[in-house]
Amino acid sequence: MKSLYRKIFFAIISVSILLFSAAAVHAYTAEELELSSQMDADQLPSTAPIKPENDTCLQCHVDGSFSNIWTPTIRWVLFGAAGVALLFGVARSASVWKTREAWVPLPERVINYLDDRFQLTDFLKPILSKPVPDWQRRWWYCLGGLTFFFFIVQGITGIMLAFYYKPTPAEALASIQFIESEVLLGSAFRMIHHWSANAMIIMACGHMLRVFIMGAYKPPRELNWVSGVMLFVMTLAFGFTGYLLPWDQTAYWATTVGTEIAGSIPVIGDLALVFLRAGWNISSLTLSRFFAIHILVLPLITLTFMGLHFIMVRKQGLMKPL
Amino acid sequence: MSEKQEENSVPFYPDHFNQEAKVALGFGILVVLTGVLGLFFPVGLGAPADPMNTPIHVKPEWYFLFLYQLLQFIPKTIGATSPVIAILLLAIWPFLDPKPDSTKKPFWIRIWVSAAIILIIIALTIWGEVS
Repeated sequence: MKSLYRKIFFAIISVSILLFSAAAVHAYTAEELELSSQMDADQLPSTAPIKPENDTCLQCHVDGSFSNIWTPTIRWVLFGAAGVALLFGVARSASVWKTREAWVPLPERVINYLDDRFQLTDFLKPILSKPVPDWQRRWWYCLGGLTFFFFIVQGITGIMLAFYYKPTPAEALASIQFIESEVLLGSAFRMIHHWSANAMIIMACGHMLRVFIMGAYKPPRELNWVSGVMLFVMTLAFGFTGYLLPWDQTAYWATTVGTEIAGSIPVIGDLALVFLRAGWNISSLTLSRFFAIHILVLPLITLTFMGLHFIMVRKQGLMKPL
Repeated sequence: MSEKQEENSVPFYPDHFNQEAKVALGFGILVVLTGVLGLFFPVGLGAPADPMNTPIHVKPEWYFLFLYQLLQFIPKTIGATSPVIAILLLAIWPFLDPKPDSTKKPFWIRIWVSAAIILIIIALTIWGEVS
């Protein structure tokens, strides 16, 4: 009985969704037709028939002549999803009817499909079922993972900013002003990128202190410590190169002073200065160089060392404190 | 293997994984809140860079501020070389101190040493911030 009620319920829902979508499509079409005919009437005194290209259509949204893209998009997605759900229900019922077997849920089908081909279960089972002792479930073991979390946040927001940022002295500041004032959620992404950078440095320092205090750097984990120091230097380099990119007074002069300090190292100082500034002075080349280092060189090196870092900690496990 | 079964533990999935997911979710919410805050109070920009006009107070970001403040008291060459040497020392530290702890004493020494270094860095940073 219960399943009969369910079937009736779903039938009513399906029919009403169909009716409602038909009504909505009709209303949408009628409204558009009326609007375009009015516009024609305003422009042309004669009552010419509506041309095919002036007709309401999806193409109008694609070529941008229709300003509001969201209303039709939401309608298409909503009613499209309802239609897909309906088709899925029909296909499911038909399959159960035909095969006389219980329905296998879609996620399970995907897992079975991949498992048949790549034997994922054999590979993942030991990793997922590995026991985690209680002494490892403390907050100070989270710090390294959180550094990685903030690195991912930096990657995502950084890509968003790179879509609009222009690394030239003439345009850098203006492009960031554009990001903050015009781009959708641009100021939110810049805010997140700014504060998440600080959070990443704090978390990295915390993680390093935790490892140092517990003595987890000692053999056999010394290479992991070395890769960690490398990652720490990379994090600071991210901060240093990213600081110049807005190209405002603070950025310019902080970089001037910073590179000058690097230049006063004995023996390699001049080389470091010329490498960092791409010449003896800070110029547009310096900005391009810092941008390239910030978005290409450092992420690649960091990802490589992060991979090594994770593989090593996976292999060796955490050091159990006394 | 028997050693592992003796101590209290939970399986990585789902118990530990769920807990980690909750931590990530919490920090994710913090990140989104930061973004919402940024919609109303943007980070903002200073005046456009002007190579001809040096501002009176040039200060680096807070994580380089202690080094900058240190440079006020020590010669520039030493001040510029010391961070490089410190990082190199940090990188080779496990090779200088390889012996595993047998007592709690080295642990407490490391705590006090790092507390002292942190305090000095914080003091220099605040000093640099107010000066």
